[in-house]
Amino acid sequence: MNIIKRISIISIILTIVLLLTMVLGISVGSSDQNLLHMVKALIYPEQDPVLSAIVLKLRFPRVLLAVIAGAVLSLGGVVFQSILRNPLAEPYILGISGGAAIGAILGIIMGLARFPGVGFTAFAGSILSLILILYLSSGQTIFQKDRLLLSGVMVNAFCSAVIMFLVSITRDARLHNIIFWLMGDFSTINALQAGLLLVMVIPCFIIIFMLSHTLNLLSMGKETAKSSGVRTRLIILVQLLTTSFMVSLVVGYCGLLGFVGLVVPHLMRIRLGPDHRVLVPACILGGGAYMVLCDILARTLPEQGEMPTGVVTALIGAPLFIYFLKRSNR
Amino acid sequence: MFSENRLTAMKHPLIRNLFISISLTLLSIGTACGEKIVVDPIGRTVHVPDHPLRIISMAPSVTEIIFALEQQHRLVGVTRFSNYPAAARSLPRVGSYVRLDMERILALRPDLCIAVKDGNPINVVTRLMELGIPVYAVDPRNIAAIIQTVQALGDLLEAGENTGRLVQQMQQRVGRIRDLVATSRNRPRVFVQIGISPLVSVGPNTLADELITLAGGRNVVTGSNLYPVFSREQILGLAPEVLIITSMAREKIFVDIKREWQEWQQLPAVRNQRLYLINSDLTDRPSPRLLEGLECLTAAIHPELLDMQGLNCQ
Repeated sequence: MNIIKRISIISIILTIVLLLTMVLGISVGSSDQNLLHMVKALIYPEQDPVLSAIVLKLRFPRVLLAVIAGAVLSLGGVVFQSILRNPLAEPYILGISGGAAIGAILGIIMGLARFPGVGFTAFAGSILSLILILYLSSGQTIFQKDRLLLSGVMVNAFCSAVIMFLVSITRDARLHNIIFWLMGDFSTINALQAGLLLVMVIPCFIIIFMLSHTLNLLSMGKETAKSSGVRTRLIILVQLLTTSFMVSLVVGYCGLLGFVGLVVPHLMRIRLGPDHRVLVPACILGGGAYMVLCDILARTLPEQGEMPTGVVTALIGAPLFIYFLKRSNR
Repeated sequence: MFSENRLTAMKHPLIRNLFISISLTLLSIGTACGEKIVVDPIGRTVHVPDHPLRIISMAPSVTEIIFALEQQHRLVGVTRFSNYPAAARSLPRVGSYVRLDMERILALRPDLCIAVKDGNPINVVTRLMELGIPVYAVDPRNIAAIIQTVQALGDLLEAGENTGRLVQQMQQRVGRIRDLVATSRNRPRVFVQIGISPLVSVGPNTLADELITLAGGRNVVTGSNLYPVFSREQILGLAPEVLIITSMAREKIFVDIKREWQEWQQLPAVRNQRLYLINSDLTDRPSPRLLEGLECLTAAIHPELLDMQGLNCQ
């Protein structure tokens, strides 16, 4: 089958899946869980202005943020896995998200606005993490891929320690909520912020999609890529910067959501094969749907209140990580 | 905190426009169905209904104040740990005060939310304002401010003579303790344990520290940390003469904690059996009940002045 046709068919199917999960996500909530009521509130907003406000102004931005976060983190997983040639690389596992979280917390302490201030400090933090990771794992061969993961785990442990340090020395009341935010929180965003975030990440999606054929070559090794006429250094730099940028934006808005970049790309690879021209759009759409489902679980599993979505993604992702690690060592 | 954040947020042109449009909408509604413009205790200008009838209290202390003002018929929602008075338990819950459930709040169709500055997350407050729900914020961080908060909420809810009576009662009770304590020159060294594991205490500039001082004690904890964590070794060094455990845990756990402390006969408080349990709701909620907490603390620190038997401290 011709590749454009294949990309289109898979994208259409996954878009339908994404839209269905979004409808499900919007119809679930703590005050009313009836799909019919929701549809009615959307068609006749004047009949029940409160319900339509709940649906449009609370649930919709939340679901949209979950879609963006899922798409960004899954895509981040795909990019890191192919550039670092390690199937277990992922923004959270590598400590990129952790670095962004430190930056975001510093931004919050400095009293910066969520955007652009906190977004910028989060980006700076993620870049520092990225440099550290690249330095620690430099010179590795394909046989030493555990070294990269180990470096990531250590950077992550260090980031957690710095975060706890910052939380314990500050008397800032804004950080009271930090634990909820750190574990992934979609609840406080408004439609304007979600829209702004969407506008920021779509160009990143486009850049990465345009470069997706180079990811195919890069995952076969830098030498192969170079011999095929790819300007590897530049491409790698653009990909890593774009990815870190969108990941830090997501971390700045909704905290740490681990293992998403591992679960979704692996599922997609099993179903769709290793071609990145297909994987990139599939992970954007599938990652969005996956995160909405995780958020629904986070909202509905506890009897009272809700739990952070990061708990759900880690509960699903960490065992899968161990499974993939075991399998990749065989 | 609110005002600062709002200023940062306001620098953003989109947010500023949104803010202006919301304010204008509120203003236009205001003229239509009877609104008043008030300044809340932290200096924010809020448009509130003339007679708010669907109020959500976003902290247990606010719930207690509204009940004490006998305005509970206006409450349509409270937070998770609003357990006093008993009638508050049956009101709909809107999450805990640090983790508010915005959807439940909206679904209860409030015409006013009352927030506490130290506790309710700023972003939830901002979101509620954006959604057109007025949020009146209070900041009862010391006894004087608690009395002012009661006065402000009484005025806001037009509680009439209840307000004056409650404020007067509170002032009298503080005055009585002040007079009692003034008769003694003894200022025992006090350690207040608010957390059992880890062992957390209270530093200067906290409500509990103010209560200790008013009750005629000296807080052994100094330094800038509001809620420092201690090891037993450090407490031995501080040598408190009175040890007060404020906890939601009741009698049973108190017996265990007391037994643990019995091993440390070197501590003057243990040697002289000056270990007391006080219900933490009485000492850490900035509500009229705090005065019961003050009386309990006074009875613990100065048993010669006030008898704990007559008080309901646990």
